[in-house]
Amino acid sequence: MTHLEIKELSKVYFIEDKGIKAVDRVSLRIDKGDFISIIGHSGSGKTTLLSIIGGILRPSSGNILFNGDDVYRFDENRLSEYRADRIGYIFQFASLLPVLTVRENLLLPTIFSTNGVHNKEKVLDEYLGMVGLGDKKNAYPSQLSGGQQRRVAIARALMNDPEIILGDEPTGDLDEETEQDIMDLLKKINLERNITLILVTHDTGLAKDAARRLRMDHGKMEEIRGNGRNK
Amino acid sequence: MKFNLLTVAVKNLKRKPFRTIILIISIALFVSILVFGTSFFISVNSSLERTANRLGADVLVVPIGARQYADEALLETKIRVFYMDKGMIDRVKQIEGVDKVSHQTYLTTIYGLCCTIPPATVVIFNQDSDFVVDVWLKKSLGRKLRKGEVIIGHEAYENFGMFDVSRSTLFGVTFNIAGVLEKTGTGFDNAIFMSDENLDAVISKGKSGLKPNDISLIFVKVKEGYDPYTVSRKIEGEIIEVDTIERSEMGKKIIGTFKDINMVFLITIVFASLLSAFLAWTIFSAIVNERLREVGIMKALGAKGSHIVIMFILEVFVLGMLGSLTGVVLGTYVSFSLSKIFSFLKDINVTLTAAERIGVGMLGLLTGTGICITGALTSIMRMKNLEPFTAIKEA
Ligand SMILES: Nc1ncnc2c1ncn2[C@@H]1O[C@H](COP(=O)(O)OP(=O)(O)O)[C@@H](O)[C@H]1O
Ligand SMILES: [Mg+2]
Repeated sequence: MTHLEIKELSKVYFIEDKGIKAVDRVSLRIDKGDFISIIGHSGSGKTTLLSIIGGILRPSSGNILFNGDDVYRFDENRLSEYRADRIGYIFQFASLLPVLTVRENLLLPTIFSTNGVHNKEKVLDEYLGMVGLGDKKNAYPSQLSGGQQRRVAIARALMNDPEIILGDEPTGDLDEETEQDIMDLLKKINLERNITLILVTHDTGLAKDAARRLRMDHGKMEEIRGNGRNK
Repeated sequence: MKFNLLTVAVKNLKRKPFRTIILIISIALFVSILVFGTSFFISVNSSLERTANRLGADVLVVPIGARQYADEALLETKIRVFYMDKGMIDRVKQIEGVDKVSHQTYLTTIYGLCCTIPPATVVIFNQDSDFVVDVWLKKSLGRKLRKGEVIIGHEAYENFGMFDVSRSTLFGVTFNIAGVLEKTGTGFDNAIFMSDENLDAVISKGKSGLKPNDISLIFVKVKEGYDPYTVSRKIEGEIIEVDTIERSEMGKKIIGTFKDINMVFLITIVFASLLSAFLAWTIFSAIVNERLREVGIMKALGAKGSHIVIMFILEVFVLGMLGSLTGVVLGTYVSFSLSKIFSFLKDINVTLTAAERIGVGMLGLLTGTGICITGALTSIMRMKNLEPFTAIKEA
């Protein structure tokens, strides 16, 4: 069934009266459990599209339907719940809170969730182990390398048991070996838990892992390879 | 270890300790002035009110021109003597509406000249007609005063220091000290009481300068159904030699002299509160701008507007509480110690009950924290409905 439906989505940024069309009438149907990769040049609108899907940026026009509900028709609180409970967002940039330890950064989204994740500390240990940082629980972000911070952010995206993971170049500044580990981890989550996975990546090699591959160019979306499951 | 928004707030507070401490100090100063000023105001007023009520009289009759002296003698602990003729008692009794009257005569002790004790006011009263001091005299002593006995006020007793506390010579007559009164918080704390049975002995020694028919003031109780004001006007109208003070008028002059001080307090408090609010406002608009990106990330992770507002309010709250608590402690301490240093405060009994102190403390906490939150609120509310992506990008 259709998990996420993107309908005629456009986003125009205005800078001093000049409009930049970052996303241009993109339509897409995504099923539960899909693994989708999006490639494209820098500035092609990937981050903008992902942000709109993640509920953190209002589109100029068009709709995002999640299980049939128009996300941007939600009131502020329900929109927040959508972000907290349904979406696990991995940002392109460093996004850990500097005053919080790794443990606290991971617990932060659970405060906002209505999912009622039980055994938070156990889940936390499990994910931290999965990203290979079991010994960094009480470290502060400033004590971690860029790659380690990125891995914490990935673990954080999993904490509320989301239905969709949105990764904006999640392996961007990782070395090749870790990059592969993380990719394996994400694929595993996608497979075992049937979590929908949408990954933005500049690396065509990594993109090949995905069942569906899309390319963005000047805000427009084209499908490179379809998926049998996609109707 | 629990983790919640308070943890985040406290951790955020520690980020720029200097800035945090400046705000805490400012709040602390404001609250300490507030606490001190309020304590001062309350103690002056309640001490005056308490005394006026204790006197149990509706109207005081004093020699003409002695109104202020009477106030000072009764409500403060200043030593004042003033006299009128005993004949006034009967004339006051004749006035319509007067129920009971009693009178007192005041004397001053001068150490070395007439007496063996430090300076104090001696109150000579008539035990048969008295309705003013009788009650607490009985409470302390359990019986009436005998001839040749005095009972002394709490503070007068403290002034004795190394003097003999069992016997003393007053105006050439030797007295036994029968006891010490409990602290009352009135002008009588600094007085020594004796019955007018001793009057003849005191006058005959000639050391007091007192004449047989001298009395200082008359206390009047008004009959039921009569208005103290009308009765008081009537006494003044019919007896040219006296002035009157109604109960509600007592201490007005003294309060008047404190008006300027209270005004200074008020202006300082208003100014300090505005300054604190302004400081809270500046600091929090800076804080909010610095954390725009973090707020955006938190919102992207699913924080509701209320989560963000609560987080910041907790931060201001902790700050405000820290500052206010310091201020309450400081203000209370100052009001304790200053009352010992300033002589004009000593004259007025600056003692607050524990309940009053707690009340003033609560007021300090509430106002200090409230001012802090008020100052920061506009900045905080700006964070409520931020679009996450925009916040992250604009930071
Ligand atoms: N907040 C913004 N304001 C104005 N223009 C923006 C903003 N964010 C992105 N853009 C512009 O929109 C286009 C798409 O950007 P983005 O979605 O970040 O692309 P990508 O992630 O593919 O590099 C670019 O031309 C970029 O300059
Ligand atoms: Mg991007």
